[in-house]
Amino acid sequence: MNTHETRAAQLFLTHHDFVKGVALKYAPWPGLMEDIAQQVFLEFMAKEERWDLENDLCPLLATMTRHVAMRLWRDRTKSRPEVVQKLADHIRLLAEESELPPRYEEEVALLRGCLQKLPEKSRELIQLYYYSDIGTPQIAEQMEMKADTVCRALSRVRDKLRECIQRQIQQGGVAHV
Amino acid sequence: MSELSHDPEVLIQHYLEDRLTEDEAALLLELLQKPALGEADPLHEKLLHQLSMDAMLREVKAAASTSTGPVILPAAPSAKTKARFSFTTLTSVAAVAACITLALTWLFVFTRQLPSMADAEDTTAAVAVLSRGVNLEWQGESHTPGSPLSPGWLRLESGLAQIEFYQGARVTLEGPAAFRLVSSSQAYCTAGKLSVHVPPQAKGFRIDTPKGTIVDLGTDFGLDLNVPTAELHVFKGEVELHATGAAMKPLYEGQGMTLGDENQAFTANQAAFASLNTVDERTAESQRLAFESWLSSRPEWNNEASLQMRLDFQDPVGTRSLRNHAVKAPQVPAGSIVGCDWTEGRWPGKRALEFRNVSDRVRLSIPGEHEAITLCAWVRVHGLDRPFNSLFMAEGYADGAIHWQITRDGKLRLGIAGRDGHPSRDHDTPALFKPERFGQWMHLATVIDPVAKEIRHYLNGEEVARVPWLHVFPVRPGLADLGNWNDGGRSDRVAIRNFSGTMDEFMLFSRVLTEQEIAKLAR
Repeated sequence: MNTHETRAAQLFLTHHDFVKGVALKYAPWPGLMEDIAQQVFLEFMAKEERWDLENDLCPLLATMTRHVAMRLWRDRTKSRPEVVQKLADHIRLLAEESELPPRYEEEVALLRGCLQKLPEKSRELIQLYYYSDIGTPQIAEQMEMKADTVCRALSRVRDKLRECIQRQIQQGGVAHV
Repeated sequence: MSELSHDPEVLIQHYLEDRLTEDEAALLLELLQKPALGEADPLHEKLLHQLSMDAMLREVKAAASTSTGPVILPAAPSAKTKARFSFTTLTSVAAVAACITLALTWLFVFTRQLPSMADAEDTTAAVAVLSRGVNLEWQGESHTPGSPLSPGWLRLESGLAQIEFYQGARVTLEGPAAFRLVSSSQAYCTAGKLSVHVPPQAKGFRIDTPKGTIVDLGTDFGLDLNVPTAELHVFKGEVELHATGAAMKPLYEGQGMTLGDENQAFTANQAAFASLNTVDERTAESQRLAFESWLSSRPEWNNEASLQMRLDFQDPVGTRSLRNHAVKAPQVPAGSIVGCDWTEGRWPGKRALEFRNVSDRVRLSIPGEHEAITLCAWVRVHGLDRPFNSLFMAEGYADGAIHWQITRDGKLRLGIAGRDGHPSRDHDTPALFKPERFGQWMHLATVIDPVAKEIRHYLNGEEVARVPWLHVFPVRPGLADLGNWNDGGRSDRVAIRNFSGTMDEFMLFSRVLTEQEIAKLAR
């Protein structure tokens, strides 16, 4: 890496939670945010010699992220049935209008602490679903529960985690889930 | 299949899992569009919070999955490590080392309790398979013979589709038709003409229609919903007709009944429906025509100036070499078969090589260096047994060598080894090769485009990924293997990267093929 490349990569890193926030706003499709952020990084670095790194990069990154997000969004949703596309577009509009977390990375760091405080059962659920990539119908079978009950339980664990993060942001110190 | 849930939490979870049915999507959309009635946490806010938390949890997981290996900077990934970096890892390198410690501690405690991802069993939601098809034209999502079918709509514009339900019932559907798979023993049909064979194992197979329900007790019947008064024809055995607003009526062999407001009896007419024999005959004819068309059209490529290698796998029985048909590349010799068995290709009469054993390969030599390359192959993947499953791999991995392969997680990858101080890079698609695609013929193409400075990947003629190529330099196919790899340096042992599948055509061009050309090759 030459000096300019290194500097560009470093600057991107300082903005990457901003990129993720923008990505989630324009493409609120499960699992898409990370893909968008990576693609933006690659495209940003591919043209790094063009960028004036002394300027504020936010407008540039916002535009790049928006373009990449729209492209990947189209790719991901175009094969879906019409009604699913309509729903996805509606959710995208809602996300565009909303205020999503501006400090994504900070929240992720807090999330790690909150995960450690989850009760055993909730922890197991998160483990199965997010870490072992097991779908809710299979978890239901494994835990001898109804699939809908697993869906509700996962939803509640996520709510608890959100509350935990908010408590930590507002009050500081240790929060309990 | 589970019943439609009206619980928003369940619907949101299905959205997050990307498995909403159309009915669920319609319901969730309706709920989201309703004005909020003063709730503290209106549904759309709840959904966005759930989505955001889901993204964060995925990120924590992604960080965990990369935290055990060496830390890699994104612009210079080594070929033998993951090409896709984790931003979390990068950030950690830059500033948040303490978070890594926390994450590792947490991960250690967490992952000890449950099986690793590698041990997780693959699952499928499929309830049937499209066993055969003739002249299929789909509206919306298209399916090819061999595709597993999950619950959902099949909208067939024209053609004949034979669907085998996992419980054993076999449905022959004539387009135009709108047919929804509900479970392995149930379907819903609003339009179309279909004949059904229900063996004893599938007794109780049920088809719902807007005009009533047909429950089969182990028999053959036909259903025509394309006539004004929908008709049920029983060819063999017994069927229960539960017409809307009427008592159940049993129908026996030779009997027919309309499903309209008034149920009128008539004599069943089996000849009016496509039979399995019809499908067999039309499938055979369609395959013959496709093969003939391939035989007559492919030689036109042989004179293409940029064609370095074209293997059609139609070499004589018993031969252990594959003729290179590229007439303008006399310096590129034939391929040499090592191991591999001959087998049938895409059509009866089309030959192919099966790669199955650790040693199986076709040894090639393609001299020269090229700034632009297009690789194309027709393959059928049996399984992804190795971390790297070779399609075409240059010997070793240095000085602009190229490695075209499929990763264990199903990504098509083109690795380009570094040269002149530029780093090696992998250029991946998203995961394409799910277990449900195994066993199907697929056309793969990958282009190295030095002008656009990008690598493009195509599946069945459609672009599936476009990845920037940061440093343009000539690449080198050189000595290479189809379906395997020789690391070129070690004499004591070699990594096992053999392909598990079948290949019946391979082409390598020293130029960028256009989208239209690739689409033509994929037809």
